[in-house]
Formats: sequence, C-alpha cells, structure tokens
Amino acid sequence: MLGKRTLTGRIGFALAILLLVSFSLLPFAQILSTSLKHQYDWGNPSLIPQTINLDAYKELLGLTEAKKVEMPAAIQKILNNPKLPQDKKDAISAKYMSNDNLFPFGKYMLNSVIFSVGAATFSLVFSVMGAYSISRLRFKGQVVIQRSVLFVYMVGGVLLMVPLYQMAMNIGLASSLWGSAFCLFLIYIVQTLPVGMYMLGNYFRGIPFALEEAAMMDGCSRKEAIIKVVLPLSLPMLATVFIYCFIIGWNEYLFASVFLKQYPEFHTLPLALQELFVSKNAIWDRIMAASMLTLAPIVICFLFASRFMKGGKTDGGVKG
Amino acid sequence: MTPLERAEAKFGWKLVTPTILILGLLILYPLMYNVYLSFFDVQLNGYKTFVGFENYIKLLTNTDYYSAIGTTSLYLLGTVVGTTLLGLAMALLLKDPFKGRGLVNAAIMLPYVAPVISVVFGWQFLFDPISGVVNYLFVDALGIWSERTNLIGNPDSALWVVVLFDIWKHAPIAYLLILSKLVSVSRDQYEAAAIDGYGPIGRFFHVTLPELYFVLATVVLLRLIWNLNRFEDVYLLAPNVQTLPIFTYYQAFTGVIDQGLAAATSVIQLAVLSVFIWFYIKKIMKW
Repeated sequence: MLGKRTLTGRIGFALAILLLVSFSLLPFAQILSTSLKHQYDWGNPSLIPQTINLDAYKELLGLTEAKKVEMPAAIQKILNNPKLPQDKKDAISAKYMSNDNLFPFGKYMLNSVIFSVGAATFSLVFSVMGAYSISRLRFKGQVVIQRSVLFVYMVGGVLLMVPLYQMAMNIGLASSLWGSAFCLFLIYIVQTLPVGMYMLGNYFRGIPFALEEAAMMDGCSRKEAIIKVVLPLSLPMLATVFIYCFIIGWNEYLFASVFLKQYPEFHTLPLALQELFVSKNAIWDRIMAASMLTLAPIVICFLFASRFMKGGKTDGGVKG
Repeated sequence: MTPLERAEAKFGWKLVTPTILILGLLILYPLMYNVYLSFFDVQLNGYKTFVGFENYIKLLTNTDYYSAIGTTSLYLLGTVVGTTLLGLAMALLLKDPFKGRGLVNAAIMLPYVAPVISVVFGWQFLFDPISGVVNYLFVDALGIWSERTNLIGNPDSALWVVVLFDIWKHAPIAYLLILSKLVSVSRDQYEAAAIDGYGPIGRFFHVTLPELYFVLATVVLLRLIWNLNRFEDVYLLAPNVQTLPIFTYYQAFTGVIDQGLAAATSVIQLAVLSVFIWFYIKKIMKW
C-alpha cells in the first residue's frame, strides 16, 4: 500500500534529485569552470572550457617564472646615481620588480591558517573544560551559565563590531599591527567558543557517567577520569568541533575587515579576495582560481568531518 | 552541602571560569558598552562627547533607517519562507534510503560549509550582465527578457538575488533539522492513514505536517535569529542591498563615520533579537 513505485514516480524522483544537486553545485561548477577558462571563453555559457588554462593557478601558487621587468631608462639613471644610498636603490628596484606578484596568495593562506587553526585550538580547549563543567558537574549558577552561553551563541558579530572596536581603541590595541592581530585572534576564539561548548555539552551528556565512576573507583581523580575516559570517547566529536571552529574562522570576513584592513601583510583570505575583487587587478580567472583554492581546504575538512556526522546528527546544525 | 558536593562545585567553577571571563569580557561587556556608546558622539579614534538621546532621534528621523528596516523585513520574509519550504522539500525527497544518497547528501551540504567569499564570486559570475549564464538563459535562449540586465547592480533586484543566495546556502541546515524529525515519524501512522483512505497528499497534511509542526517552528525561529544579523552573505554578494547590518556597518566604518549612531542601531537590533532568542530558549531549547 505504501512505497509503491511506478515508473513515472521513479523518473520524477530522479529528475527532482538531479535538479536539486544541480542547484546546489552550479555555482561551484561555475567557479571551477571560469578559473580554467581563457578570457575569450568567458562569455561562452558552456561550463566546459574550450581549452584548459592553468595560468591563474600557476600564478597564485607562485609557479610561474618571475617575469623580467624592463627598467625604464629614467629609473636606471637614478639607480646609477652614486650619491643614492644602497637601501634606497634596493627599495626602488624592489618596487619595480614587485609588479610580478600581484596577489601573494600563499601569504594570505598562511595568515588564514594561523588565525583559524590557532583560534580553533584555544577554543577547543576552553570548550572542553566549560562544556564538561556545565554538562556534568552540579553547582550553583550552572543554569544561568548554560542560558548565557546559549544567548551569546546567538548574538551576531554585527552587534559587537562597534563596541569591540572602541574597546580595542581605548586600550590602544587597534592602532598597532600586532595589537589588531591579537584582537582578531581573541575575537575568533569568542566567536567559536559558544558553538564548541554547545556541541560538546550535548555530547558529554550522552556519555554514561558509570564509565567515569568506574575509573574513579579504580583510583583515578576526576581530572584523570576526564583525560583517560571522557576525552578518548569523544575524539570524533572533538575533531568535529575543531573543524567546525576552524571553518568559522576561515570563512570570517567582518572582523577581519574591521581590524586588519589597513594592514595588507596580515590580510586573511576572505579579506584579501574581497580587496582583490574591488581592485584594478580583478580578473575573473584569477578571482575564481583564488576562490577555488580558498574553498578546497574547507571541502576536504567537510568530507572528513561528515564521516563522523552520519546519521542526521544536528549537533552543530543550528549555527548559520 | 557535603564535602564531596563542595569539591564538585569548586571543580565545576574552576573549569568554567576561563569561558566566563572570555565571554563576559568580549561579548556581555561589549553589549553593555554598546548601550553606553549609543548616548555619545563617537569618533573612529575613540574620542567621545555625550549627546544624550540625539543618536536615537537622528536614527528615528532618518528615512534610510526605515528603508533598511523595510529591506530587512523583505529579506527575512523571503529567506525564512524559502529556506523552510526548500528544506522541507529536500527532507521529504531524501527521507527514504536510495542508492547514492550519501553522495547527494554531501553535494547538497556543500553550499552550507563553503566560504561565503568564494561562492559569492560564483554567484556574481552567474548573474554577470555580459558573461553570466542567467542572462544568457533568459535573454538569448528563452527570450523572456528583452535585454541583458545587471540584476546585482540594481538594489531592488539584487535583494532577491541575495534572498535566493541565502536560501541556497542555508536550506541544507533546515533540511537536516527537519529530516531528523521526519525519520522518527513511525510508518504505522502512514499506514493507518492510508487505510483511512488518504492519498499521498492527504497523508502529508494529516500525518507529516502535524508531526513536523514543532521542528518547522524551530527552523523559522532560527532563521529569524541568524538572518537578522546576517552580514557577510549580503555585503559580499551585493553591497548595495542595505539590510540593517549593512546599514550599521556603513555608519560605523565608511563615509561619514558615526559610530554612536551605529551603536544606537545595534542597541535597537539587540532588543529585537533578544525577544527571538528568549522565545527560542524558553519554548524550544531543552538544555
């Protein structure tokens, strides 16, 4: 009576799936396609490039040979001036040479990795401690803390950008490069900590207390019981939380733009890509290749994490 | 309190203290400081002068603010309805196991995890007036539009592109939430309804929908909460669509900078958000 599948039903189902998957993947296909196309091919609606063009990737990854820039005669004359100190000469010639590498992708990627991996690590440590405390231990004020964590979890960054910026300004951090970077690092921890605590709290609650109790009977202290019993049991979830926090940091744009816009050497990928897009050096294939390379680590992490997230788990699913 | 309980409480506090300090210092304190700032004329360099309610008066007499509220309302309406319906459709479609479901699942989750900054460029290219496939489709292939248009360049149409983008990006989350409830509806109920003579559509309205009522409310509420503060998706795809977060950002960091005014905007927005969050914690969360 139920689940009878007619032929038309099957075809309709297959079509619906096809439509859904195409809708989900079309923008990705477009990015990949454009990143591989030559400029004359951009207007061609087909997703398959007429000839594959890897120049944009090579350029971003620094695989192209540095082009020799012809020094204009006037500049050459200045450089030959014996009165000019050597460091000035180097600066001038460096300025002429620097046109080769318009978009130091590797540097931005390293910045992004440092910020997001670093923040995710701290966040994970604090969320393990906090989540264990509020999900497993009983003390006064616990409920208030739980509710507050949930509340701050849902307060968006937009509501915090002005006061956080002003606070950083007041204590003098926002006016220096390292101060700004430090602020951003702290903010990434704060942005990920409530999510981590929320996910881990739910997970810890599902681990039978009897396991810890047994360890404590054997003479472990509570701390040892956590380290020897609870954490090993939670490894998949710890990995998931770490990846989740990493993704949040990797994708973040708002605070990076507030704190780091004036320090190009510290730009993270989202900020750098946006700056590239609005600059005169914006070329579709270069932007798309950069997008592709920004996307790749996330896709890999996601495929890795999704192995642990089987079974319609929605532990982390409320954020977004 | 026994000594054991006291030791437990002490340990509990010890573990949670770093979190409390960090969240208190960098979220709760800033939220209160924001209220304080909203009564000042605040310069970017931190210089402040007290102005009382002037920021609020300026805000409430600013027509741009009302148009931002209007844009935000349309954005919320479009995304909440669209995301919930698409999520529901996806859950119904993918509820039963079939060959390759794992792959389909991974594919449809991808928009949700992908960095906004990457995917916006894909979307911008799709809607590009010269090279984009959307214009090609509607102008050259189907002939529905008479000329190529820059949909993202015009704020009115860009709003709907942003809505579509947001639905594309967040339907997977609605799908996951709805699916987790849907798979728990017992088959007996459907069979009973079938015996009572209900067809597939009748079964949907008499069995599925009542069971999903609660989870659908959850999805709607969560979308409202997250999308009220949505910044990056809108700003990076179409900076000309001025929802409230974009409006605040422009006030605070670009052009004629007025951080006090931005603070006032955030205070009002936080008040609205708090109502949603309170509702969520009260009615839905069982933590």
